[in-house]
Amino acid sequence: MGKFIVIGERIHCISPVINKAMQERDPEPILKRAREQIETGATYLDVNIGPAEKDGEELMKWAVKTIQEACDNVPLCLDTSNRKAIEAGISVYNRSKGKPIVNSADAGDRIENIDLAAANDAIVLALCSKAGVSSDNDERMGYCQELLERGMEHGMEAEDIWFDPLFLVIKGMQDKQMEVLSFIKDLSDMGLNSTGGLSNISNMMPKHIRPIMDSAMVAMAMYCGLTSAIANPADLRLMETIRSCDVIKNNTLYADSYLEI
Amino acid sequence: MPFKPVPQKFNAKINALTIGTGDKTVTLGGESVFPFYSFDAPIEHRPSIGAEISDLGIDSSLPGVAEYYSGCSTLPEMAKRASEMPGADFLAISLDGAHPDNGDRSVEDTAALVKEIAAVVDCPLVIEGSRSVEKDAKLFEKIAEALDGRNVLFLSAREENYKSVSAAAAMAYSQKIGAESAVDINLAKQLNVLISQMGVKTESVAMNLGSAAAGYGFEYVATTFDRVKSAALAQNDNMLQMPIITPVASEVWTVKESIAAEEDFPEWGPAEERGVNMEIATAAASLAAGSNAVILRHPQSVAAISKLIVELI
Repeated sequence: MGKFIVIGERIHCISPVINKAMQERDPEPILKRAREQIETGATYLDVNIGPAEKDGEELMKWAVKTIQEACDNVPLCLDTSNRKAIEAGISVYNRSKGKPIVNSADAGDRIENIDLAAANDAIVLALCSKAGVSSDNDERMGYCQELLERGMEHGMEAEDIWFDPLFLVIKGMQDKQMEVLSFIKDLSDMGLNSTGGLSNISNMMPKHIRPIMDSAMVAMAMYCGLTSAIANPADLRLMETIRSCDVIKNNTLYADSYLEI
Repeated sequence: MPFKPVPQKFNAKINALTIGTGDKTVTLGGESVFPFYSFDAPIEHRPSIGAEISDLGIDSSLPGVAEYYSGCSTLPEMAKRASEMPGADFLAISLDGAHPDNGDRSVEDTAALVKEIAAVVDCPLVIEGSRSVEKDAKLFEKIAEALDGRNVLFLSAREENYKSVSAAAAMAYSQKIGAESAVDINLAKQLNVLISQMGVKTESVAMNLGSAAAGYGFEYVATTFDRVKSAALAQNDNMLQMPIITPVASEVWTVKESIAAEEDFPEWGPAEERGVNMEIATAAASLAAGSNAVILRHPQSVAAISKLIVELI
């Protein structure tokens, strides 16, 4: 198995600084966050431009070119509900460090994003849900099969579909956590890749608690076979946990400086 | 059912490290397949062979060696002859005589001697130290300066002296260095991390992962090489993608099987033949396990291993 893949989540239009930079096409604030995330251990960078209905295509192209040209073609995860913007982004994307990721498809009205990924030889994040959160693992597995078949029909390799069980917030859905972990184990047993927005679990918790809870969850999820996560690489405790789990899982060879590389 | 070959593809490759200058260079590594798996993807640079001489001269008690070097009276003459050994790609000079317990030749004198040798050969050079970490740090600094521009490989930087070797040889004079660990995968990786944190480009570093003569714990060597190559290729670990160079001669020409006199063990046959067999067996096994270069002493071993490599790739 390869090392756990962290998709850095910090280039997100919900952040006022990033939103402003995207509107004004000001590269510096975006590149600053890109570099910070690469420096702290992100493999992929998520680029969330929001719905971007008006100028999504042009904005995504600009963002992809700006980030890749300045950051040694770092691989990107193109995150928007605007499909044309994702296609536009892929049209200028440099694949030398990894395929682009389409974020995201689901078993509902976003299922065509699987076709989009297949047509563009991209990776796709596939949410095991249709409308809202799946009620149990049988339902999740049903969607997973549906998404997998759709991808195969369009000629994708199973390894390019990264299934997202949807991490659930602990404050409110505490009784569902083990079920999500068990689903990750099922995906892993099927040899499938998995991912998800990890920090969902600690939503609404005090700021100092969140890294602790996220780290515990990532360790348990990695034990179950989680292969990647959309997360904040600036969270030192989280990244130290991931690196340590990678060593324990024999995903990477131990060296005394393993936390620094 | 017809056989359908499935190439084992990796999105990773071993760094290509070139030593020497002009049209006399040799490149170690560069492949993206397991050792000799040229059926999976082309191996551009075959494993290479170094012919080794000691700064104390050759072992003329071995008839085959004495014959090969016949007529050579000075070290530069021997070096020149070694550099022309059929099948060898580079010359390795072992600075045994600079070790404090083995003559303790001064840093200045040793550097002058190496410079004299370098002046008469134009092949790529590998400088092997005296096996004293303190002395090597000083030797390499002086020799890196004396051979400025020759693009030589220094063996080795160890845990105890990597800082000075990195700073002097690799950074000040842009020479190449080998990171040496003694059959310890975790230390091998750690040393590469430390050297790269000094600011040395990973492309300037080779690994000497340690060796052992066949039968003397070689299985640890083999599994170490295996693990390192698989981390480098399958896990794309850039702290283990340095090519591997293995000094074989210094291990095999000291074991009993190679040096015990025929009078003492008549049933073992001639000593020289045994030594050559040990050298060939150890070198072949090192290459099969993942070494990108081996350093050998006997002309017959060099010829045999060279033939092996050419016929397999």
